[in-house]
Amino acid sequence: MIPLYAAHMRQAVLTQFQYRAANYFYMIGMIAEPVVYLVVWSTIARAQGGSVDGLTPGDFAAYYIVWTLVRNMNIVLTPFAWEERIKDGMLAGQLMKPVHPIHEDLAGFMGWKIVVLLLWIPIAAVLVVLFRPTLNPTLLQGVVFSFAIWGAYLIRAIMQWSLGLITFWTTRVAAVFEAYYLSEMLLSGRVFPLVLMPKWFQTLTWYFPFRWSFSFPIVALTGPIKNRDLFIGLGMQVAWTLVSIGILYLVWPRAVRRFSSVGG
Amino acid sequence: MAADPRRAGRIRLTGTFLRIGVMNEMQYRINFFLQLVQSLLTVGTGLIILAVVFSKTDDLGGWSRPQLLAVMGVFTLVGGVIRTFIQPNMQRVVNDVREGKLDFALTKPADAQLLVSVRDVRFWQLTDVLVGLVVLIVALVQLTPSSNWQDLVAFVALLLSGLISIYCFWLMLASASFWLVRINEVQELFDGLFRAGQYPVGIYPGWLRYGLTFIIPLAFAITVPSEAVTGRLAWQSVVVMIGFTIVLLVVSRWCWKRGLRRYGGASS
Amino acid sequence: MAIIEVEDLSKTFKVPVREQGLRASVRSLVHRETKEVTAVDAVSFTIDAGEVVGFLGPNGAGKTTTLKMLSGLLHPTGGRCRVLGLEPKGRPAELLRQITLVMGNRNQLQWDLPALDSFELNRAIYRLPRTEFVALRDELIALLDIGDLVTQPIRNLSLGERMKMEIAGALLHRPQVLFLDEPTIGLDITMQRRIRTFVADYNARYGASVILTSHYMADVQALCKRVIVIHHGRLVFDGDLTALSERFTTQRTITARLANGEEITIRALRADTASATTRLLADHDVVDLTIEDPPIDDVIEQVFADAHDTP
Repeated sequence: MIPLYAAHMRQAVLTQFQYRAANYFYMIGMIAEPVVYLVVWSTIARAQGGSVDGLTPGDFAAYYIVWTLVRNMNIVLTPFAWEERIKDGMLAGQLMKPVHPIHEDLAGFMGWKIVVLLLWIPIAAVLVVLFRPTLNPTLLQGVVFSFAIWGAYLIRAIMQWSLGLITFWTTRVAAVFEAYYLSEMLLSGRVFPLVLMPKWFQTLTWYFPFRWSFSFPIVALTGPIKNRDLFIGLGMQVAWTLVSIGILYLVWPRAVRRFSSVGG
Repeated sequence: MAADPRRAGRIRLTGTFLRIGVMNEMQYRINFFLQLVQSLLTVGTGLIILAVVFSKTDDLGGWSRPQLLAVMGVFTLVGGVIRTFIQPNMQRVVNDVREGKLDFALTKPADAQLLVSVRDVRFWQLTDVLVGLVVLIVALVQLTPSSNWQDLVAFVALLLSGLISIYCFWLMLASASFWLVRINEVQELFDGLFRAGQYPVGIYPGWLRYGLTFIIPLAFAITVPSEAVTGRLAWQSVVVMIGFTIVLLVVSRWCWKRGLRRYGGASS
Repeated sequence: MAIIEVEDLSKTFKVPVREQGLRASVRSLVHRETKEVTAVDAVSFTIDAGEVVGFLGPNGAGKTTTLKMLSGLLHPTGGRCRVLGLEPKGRPAELLRQITLVMGNRNQLQWDLPALDSFELNRAIYRLPRTEFVALRDELIALLDIGDLVTQPIRNLSLGERMKMEIAGALLHRPQVLFLDEPTIGLDITMQRRIRTFVADYNARYGASVILTSHYMADVQALCKRVIVIHHGRLVFDGDLTALSERFTTQRTITARLANGEEITIRALRADTASATTRLLADHDVVDLTIEDPPIDDVIEQVFADAHDTP
């Protein structure tokens, strides 16, 4: 399995490096989103005398700049890709190989992240200069963060891969995917730091995988977070990864059976 | 201006294309319904986000609740128009340039710019226009003091001129594909930056604001009409904005023609 | 020894049917009307190790569907099949390691990278030991004559060159059974010929069995001693290519060149060939004589036409 992942990752790095210009453009367009949120919350904070619920503009800047890294890490295969795959025969090719097709995607995106990480560094530097975040993580926070970003990736990758399999049953999937994305928007900490929300809302987010792909890794690094919560968070990531794998185990064989009976 | 028969011909041509585009799309009625659901979901999420913002403050950068709601309505509306009429056509131009399929533009007697601008209509994206309009009306109802008819007239004029400037901007981007190969990525970039139009441009720091206002006419298309409809705008600004749009129309057409000439010379 | 056994294999699809008009569209929201289409209808045959068999038939006849059932991509709706003693249905890894499917005009290699990189990937996927892998890879590169192309990104190659890469990549794990689905489609004559030669060579060298679908007669003529003709999902003929010709032609062409330079061509019914030839030789001063079957394309067309008439 490891040589397989190494091989796929190497291919991905080589390919994506060729597309570094395209990657850059995409990344720059992508920072519009957190910058908008950042400005909105900073404006509110300044109008309210310096902070909102204890978060200063510097805190927001830290949150949303780390956001850009976490966001790049949790970009995964879009569920919309499946329609194309089924049509153009790529799926048939994958099914002929003696390995589960998800490994190709998991490994490929992991390799891509390596290129993305390198490209992200100058962008982050610029953002730091422009928005002056307040960021003082402890060593433990840094270590947990470096694991948490990969947990974030795994959960989102496997979940969305399984989600995409709905395409095997119907092509009218756009609404379902959009509903998924929009719930994620609200419940993940993508749009606003979850600490700003009332307690009941924050509790609600524990029952969905979204916060573990966004909010947890971000807050792990920016704080404030207790050491105990760092480990609970990692534990939750493991749990949700297992849940995603469980869902995959249930859905994939049925998807293949469906493909094999109707031919895609 | 062109002689009368040609202008009438152009109008009829546009009408025909639009009708064909609509007929094509009408086949996908289910898609329309699903698209409506999607628009509602997206706007719903936006409203929830606004609600969260307003749970923490009463105004944002000098904009009250109904005013911000109006901005969101206009944002959704403008996004819908762009995705229905402008984006599909301009993206197709870029693809056609890359694949050398624009030869018809050089040989058909009708005006090429018109042809490539109207042939692709994503009819069902109009659900965003519908939903945005509803949000806007709700906002206007809540507005105190309410808008007067001058505000509404200014709004329509500025909205149209804003949409035209966005069209010109997209046209210039698409024309750039006659020279640059990688314009697709720039288009994606613009897509990302468009999000910034969800809030009034005034809240952004100076450097970002100038970029948005002049390089990408977001402010024109969204913030300024919103200011007009909520009564925040001076009539002199209306004149300036419309003037700017006319300039953009001329410049973008020039870019297009130059690009087409280059294409004609270069294609084999 | 039989490596492929097919018994009454059938495949039917449920195809949605929708009428025109608004009313029907609304109704279709609630209730999906379907009709059954039979793609493969009780096909049976056996293939032994080392054979090169051609599936012949017009588009939509069911050849690709049969191939997909043999490779495990489609589940049969009736009958059974076994490849190398295993049922392809569950896609057992053991089977996948011994077969390969190459689809004409479809790309399975990495688009932006040289073929060599994709080959490395296949090595990792099939867990091939390095030395054997390198040896086979280099053999295939030499056989296909792609040495200077394997270092170029796939997207820079022509259609034919890409096909050669696909084939090389598909054979790295030394499969015993090759399923080739329209491998020469869209290629120019020279490339078609090269690929046919390669397949014949490969079969001779490694004893791999080849099942090839095509609607190009030339593919089948060049490679397959045995053809299976499939039409409307039914097996219409299974046997030697020459036997095909014999069974389905009713006429032969006799061309005679005379001493005075003239040429006479007559058509005779198969049964009358001998008597017609004798008469020709008796009546004229014949210098040269040729007896030909009609071109194989005509034969196939007739097979289809006959099959169409048969209920």
